[in-house]
Amino acid sequence: MDLALSVTKRSGLNSRQIQDAAFRTATRLFAFGVLILLGGVVVALAAGARPAFEKFGWYFLVSDAWNPVKDNFGALPAIYGTIVTSAIAMLVGIPLAFGIAVFLTELCEPHLRRPIGTLIELLAAIPSIIYGIWGLFVVAPVLQHTVQPALIQILGPLPIIGALFAGPPFGLGMLTAGVILGFMVLPFIASVTRDVFLTVPPMLRESAYGVGATTSEVIRHIVLPYTRVGVIGGIMLGLGRALGETMAVTFVIGNAHRIKASLLAPGTTISATLANEFTEAVSDMYTASLFALGFILFVITFIVLAAAKLMLLRLDQRAAK
Amino acid sequence: MTLYQRRRAGNVVALTLSWVATGIGLLILFLVLWTLLRNGLPALGSDLFTKPTPPPGGRGGIGNAIYGSVVMTAVATLVGTPVGVLTGTYLAEFGRGSRIAPVVRFVNDILLSAPSIIIGLFVYELMVVRMGHFSAWAGSVALAIIVVPVVVRTTEDMLMLVPGSLREAAIALGAPQWKVIVSVIYRAALQGMLTGVMLAVARIAGETAPLLFTAFNNQFWSTNMNGPMANLPYVIFQFALSPYADWQVLAWGGAMLITLAILMLNIVARLLTSWSNRTL
Amino acid sequence: MSDFTVTAETPRAPALGRPLVRPREPAAVAQTTPKVVIKDVRFFYKKYEALKGINLALHDKRVTAFIGPSGCGKSTLLRILNRIYELYPGQRATGEVLVDGRNILEPGQDLNLLRAKIGMVFQKPTPFPMSIYDNIAFGIRLYERLSPGELDARVEEALHRAALWDEVKDKLRQSGLSLSGGQQQRLCIARAIAVKPEILLLDEPASALDPISTQRVEELIAELKSDYCIALVTHNMQQAARSSDFTAFMYLGELVEYNETEAIFTHPRERRTEDYITGRFG
Repeated sequence: MDLALSVTKRSGLNSRQIQDAAFRTATRLFAFGVLILLGGVVVALAAGARPAFEKFGWYFLVSDAWNPVKDNFGALPAIYGTIVTSAIAMLVGIPLAFGIAVFLTELCEPHLRRPIGTLIELLAAIPSIIYGIWGLFVVAPVLQHTVQPALIQILGPLPIIGALFAGPPFGLGMLTAGVILGFMVLPFIASVTRDVFLTVPPMLRESAYGVGATTSEVIRHIVLPYTRVGVIGGIMLGLGRALGETMAVTFVIGNAHRIKASLLAPGTTISATLANEFTEAVSDMYTASLFALGFILFVITFIVLAAAKLMLLRLDQRAAK
Repeated sequence: MTLYQRRRAGNVVALTLSWVATGIGLLILFLVLWTLLRNGLPALGSDLFTKPTPPPGGRGGIGNAIYGSVVMTAVATLVGTPVGVLTGTYLAEFGRGSRIAPVVRFVNDILLSAPSIIIGLFVYELMVVRMGHFSAWAGSVALAIIVVPVVVRTTEDMLMLVPGSLREAAIALGAPQWKVIVSVIYRAALQGMLTGVMLAVARIAGETAPLLFTAFNNQFWSTNMNGPMANLPYVIFQFALSPYADWQVLAWGGAMLITLAILMLNIVARLLTSWSNRTL
Repeated sequence: MSDFTVTAETPRAPALGRPLVRPREPAAVAQTTPKVVIKDVRFFYKKYEALKGINLALHDKRVTAFIGPSGCGKSTLLRILNRIYELYPGQRATGEVLVDGRNILEPGQDLNLLRAKIGMVFQKPTPFPMSIYDNIAFGIRLYERLSPGELDARVEEALHRAALWDEVKDKLRQSGLSLSGGQQQRLCIARAIAVKPEILLLDEPASALDPISTQRVEELIAELKSDYCIALVTHNMQQAARSSDFTAFMYLGELVEYNETEAIFTHPRERRTEDYITGRFG
């Protein structure tokens, strides 16, 4: 049989090649779809927000007005609350996540590493709304009756920090929201940090132990510098999530469009405002302002997440070498 | 204290703190579960599943919310999974050397962590405003948008794990590329891809924010996808914040159900992964 | 350019003493026609030239072995013959590969059909994640429409020829992955011959197997020779000497020497060939 003749096809596509092309095109189409989706989100938000930006301009970002009756809105309290609660979340979550990552990679018995790691990951699987109601019914009362009065008593009288802890212990407020958020992002940062710690070549760690370094010294001087970029990337991923969290925060933040110095006071975040008020927005300007808030949130989280992703990409490239 | 003693003390402190941190993490998990069980178990009963949400102060269940959540989760998974699988296939099989692939991967990972309430706003603008009313379709679409990045990620990861030699062996037989992917590669990666779908389901089962302005809520039994539909997260949201004790009990019951379902999915998914790793 | 038909008049170098391996009796190769002619083939990984102008021929119904140290390019050459390198961007080949007179490196080829006619067995057994039956049937189903009875017969025939039928006839529906390493490799061979190719490319088919399975595979190659043109890459010199009619010695991307197997192993013409065969390097 003349193999070559049957194989040479100069012109025309046969069905196999058409099928291949169709399949390839379909996958490429959907891949583009992901890009279009992102673009669509940006466009939709911008379109919805345009009336508000047109009316208020840049002033929107610094105004603390929130008057549905007069159709006067400002984003400052929401932005402030978003940033402050996320900052508290990082202060709470990062040390805990870090400790867990150290535990899982250095201290834990090998047999228990998997189960405990899984339990931590299950923490991450718990939905935001569950953290919200748990925060409202369990954590807030505890904070209100014990922690916050203590904070007011001990730190209140101090000169500058005192202002942060002034005022009646509502239980609901920025501090509580920050703490709950911290609990929420902690398993996530812990997982990423643990994975990043595991990329350290065993030989590096062993040689450090070999010269007599203690575990904490190995972490501080060997593991951390090696994984610095990845750890920061993981933290920023956690920050990106904290910034956008809705339900965990909505339950416990108190929902007040005000900026107060005290962390114990109620406030609001962008996502909490959206969750609470979007379906009640009566006027078009109200809705547009809410869209504007959403747009701002999207921009903030996009920047943080993109930066995080770039950092983690750099770590991958380094590990690949 | 000598230098050595100081170093040792510092080490002990640091390690103790690590133990404490882990303890706190596990404590949170158990506290949350315990709270859910303690407050949710009293709500358990056939009424919980068979009766719809009652008016304030009334007795009833959350049957319509459970139904709504199940239906919207199912639709979202059915819609989002093929999209995610095909995109993941593109990244793993055709993306080599392509300039679009890294961009798609990058954008996908951002969408993975993006605030879900923004997705809700997007679908509101896209569907609810156009249609003039809330709908379960809109809710399903919003959830599907959250499913896609998860499935893309797991599909790509699983497909990349399939050894190149398997691909080559199928191509060497003269199989066209699509057949290699569909009949051989997908089969080899099937377990991992299923796990990915399970994890995506677990993720959207608890999502509230995207439903707030798409599916909204519905007090009554409704199977109409073209109108607002009750769903567990919204009902929990509404009932938990209300002053009515009956409503609060129902909220806890719903919360317990959701959490148990999600944890079960996660555990099964992990067991599947470790079981398949052991038999390989 | 050398003449590729080897006759009794082909000059040989003086014998270099007792050969290290016992070569087979040369088959009557006098007037065979080449099935595959490789002309001035070069291969590039991006800018790196891995094969530097290869010229040789593969004869039908004969086994041609490719030997040489790791990295010499023998597997690379094999993979040019079914153009499987094209799965990877940045890899390309120049020159001509004439199969039955037609150049298969030309653009515009139906690659799938080409690969169906050239079977390949890899170093590591690669059974598909399906039943033993489906593994064999996969290739057949791609190009032929057979009734269930006909398909059964073809599957059985392939398994017989691969000396695997007796061991699997009762468990055809079990997964291909449930077989032992040696059995999996024979499954892969059965899979390759089930589609009735004309050329068989064997890339170190026994290197991942235990000695007994290796022996089985070598016996198989001896049997299959009567129907196929076989190219065998191996790092095991004894295997090359036992199983092949022609041998090509490659080194650092070049074809150093090509001759009948008996000649290569008893009186190699090149110094490098002699060094490799006597174990001075590699």
